[in-house]
Amino acid sequence: MRTKSPHIGILFFLAIGVLPFAAAFVYALLYSFGAVGVLNTSYTTAFWAAVFRSGEFFKSLGYSAAIAAVSVAVSVGLALWLVLSYRRDFEKKALSFVLYLPLAIPGVVAAFFTFQLLAQSGFFARITYALGGIDKARQFPDLVNDPWAVGILLTFISLVTPFFVLLFMNVYKNERLGELKTLAVSLGATPRQVRWRVSIPILLTKTRTLIVLYFIFILGAYEVPLILGQQSPQMLSVLIIREMRQFDLAKIPEGYAVAVLYTFIVSGAAVLLFYRKKKTADAF
Amino acid sequence: MHIHTRLSLHFLADIQRLFFGLRKTSGCAFLLCLLALVVGCTSTTEPDTLGERDWTEIEKAGQGTTVQFMMWQGSPIINAYINNYVVPRVKELYDIDLKISGGQGPEIVQLVMGEKQAGITQGQVDMVWINGETFFQLRKINGLYGPFVEKLPHAAYVDFEDTYISTDFQQPVNYMEAPWGISQFALVYDSAQVPAPPKKLDELEHFIKAYPGTFTISNDFTGMTLLKCFLAELGGAPTSLDGPFDEEKYARLSARLWAYINRNKKYFWKEGETFPTEHSKMDQLFASGELLLSYGFSEGGIEEKVHQGLFPETTRGYAWENGTVRNANYLGITANAPNKAGAMLVINFLMSPEAQLEKADVNRMNANTVLSMEKLPAEWQQKFAAAPGRKYGPEVSALAPYAIQEPAPEYMIRIYEDFRTEVIEN
Repeated sequence: MRTKSPHIGILFFLAIGVLPFAAAFVYALLYSFGAVGVLNTSYTTAFWAAVFRSGEFFKSLGYSAAIAAVSVAVSVGLALWLVLSYRRDFEKKALSFVLYLPLAIPGVVAAFFTFQLLAQSGFFARITYALGGIDKARQFPDLVNDPWAVGILLTFISLVTPFFVLLFMNVYKNERLGELKTLAVSLGATPRQVRWRVSIPILLTKTRTLIVLYFIFILGAYEVPLILGQQSPQMLSVLIIREMRQFDLAKIPEGYAVAVLYTFIVSGAAVLLFYRKKKTADAF
Repeated sequence: MHIHTRLSLHFLADIQRLFFGLRKTSGCAFLLCLLALVVGCTSTTEPDTLGERDWTEIEKAGQGTTVQFMMWQGSPIINAYINNYVVPRVKELYDIDLKISGGQGPEIVQLVMGEKQAGITQGQVDMVWINGETFFQLRKINGLYGPFVEKLPHAAYVDFEDTYISTDFQQPVNYMEAPWGISQFALVYDSAQVPAPPKKLDELEHFIKAYPGTFTISNDFTGMTLLKCFLAELGGAPTSLDGPFDEEKYARLSARLWAYINRNKKYFWKEGETFPTEHSKMDQLFASGELLLSYGFSEGGIEEKVHQGLFPETTRGYAWENGTVRNANYLGITANAPNKAGAMLVINFLMSPEAQLEKADVNRMNANTVLSMEKLPAEWQQKFAAAPGRKYGPEVSALAPYAIQEPAPEYMIRIYEDFRTEVIEN
């Protein structure tokens, strides 16, 4: 009996985790080729052709990737700086509470906060108005639903940075970075060398997988770009949902095609990532 | 306990055999199985006997049942009308448990489509609140039950000769959906800030140049309806879009519309770089003073928002000179509704003079009745006449001379698509 249990575990994982997903994926694939669906009549590549022709998907992909890259890069940078400079302060109770707080805020709430604070009729705009900085709402800089995605970026950065701070603090402890630093100094390293040659490389290599996973997570984010984004280009999930719920029922398969394409790209990236991880045998 | 473990182990072994066996033969077999599973379900409809039964039999069948009603739940006053008035009344009258679930337009269509694809004959929903687009789409996938409206006793008070009731987006209703409310699209402005709001496209052009950033088009049903009104004006007459969809006409008029918008969008809200996703956001922008011009169905929805304190008391509404769209909204029964008789009882109640008068209360839902005053008994005529009128928004009768019919649904679908490609992404 006992020898069978790992087998059963895998089977359960397949039945609960993989099978429904695979079925949904196959269904989406068939839908995108017109093989299933109430209004579809026969197999066609027209929907895929339309997706490639319009180019909207690739624009969205580029836009989402840029937002995810900037958010993760800034968050990681900020977290590294905070951990390496103020690690001792974060161990105090009050500050660690402040750190944990953003982790408990759902994305949709954070997006609303950002909107209430940064909109042209929002909190900061009102303060600026009261102080005489502007005399019309329009004069306040455009920070939400804006072309540079400032609102989206700020929201992601404020949500993700605390996570990385906590992560880096743990790695710092587990990898005994403090002792390694002392060792490096005793071998004659300058503080600058310690930071760039010892601390940062160790923290980043140990957390590489999670950093990439966060990138993928932000790539597929929905609520935040829905509330704070522009109408065009839109982040991928917003685009997919829009395509699937549109008025023109005949075009719903295009939404499925976009979803399939997105799944392909992300799972391809994930497979590559974990394949490499296996080879380098990352410890984290 | 022991038996259970044994059983489940056998079961798992079976699955294991099945799964690995399949994998051995080929991955294709698995896919084929799935495909068969997906397309193999053909829908079978239950024999419909309701059509032959008379009202007393339907009443008997519907009593003491549960009815699932899917409707848009975005407005607190509509929810209050349903929950505090309709639900207790149908319980009292017919012992019906009316259960409300949220969903509108595309959500309803997706649900019915999904159920159809899965071959579900006993759907989740019995009745739905719909119009135009959704009616068109549900008809396209044969998602509606009917015709049933003629069977309802209260349908006798409705004037089906009125084209605004018998035609929904240029499609004959054919008793497949029951009229529940009727309203007209209106523009909304604050009379304290804007003395003379624009009523034509060239006036609008002057207006936004004088007040840049105070006008926008919401990228949803409401905004697209405004564009339909603009398109009708470019067509040169209130009736210019009547009749079936005309590709040539659409191409000609829409090209002028997009040129007009693109030429002027730098004077729009956020310089036309982006547009609000939905209309509720426009209400907030109007309330905060960012926008000076808004619009909406139900004659602009002004009364409710002034009562809520969202809009100033100087808010007024008006119709475009060439006309604004006037349309009715309806109640339909889904083709796979498990309780069609119950749904018919509820719909008949919602069309009753009692329920319609309550719905017209200016301090509450404030919705125009679909009942024809001439057809009503004298007692109800007096009650409707005695009801107090609106204080802020225009009466639907005042806008009636500027009413235009909803164009065919294809106009909406095309405007939606082209607004994105020609304006937003441009």
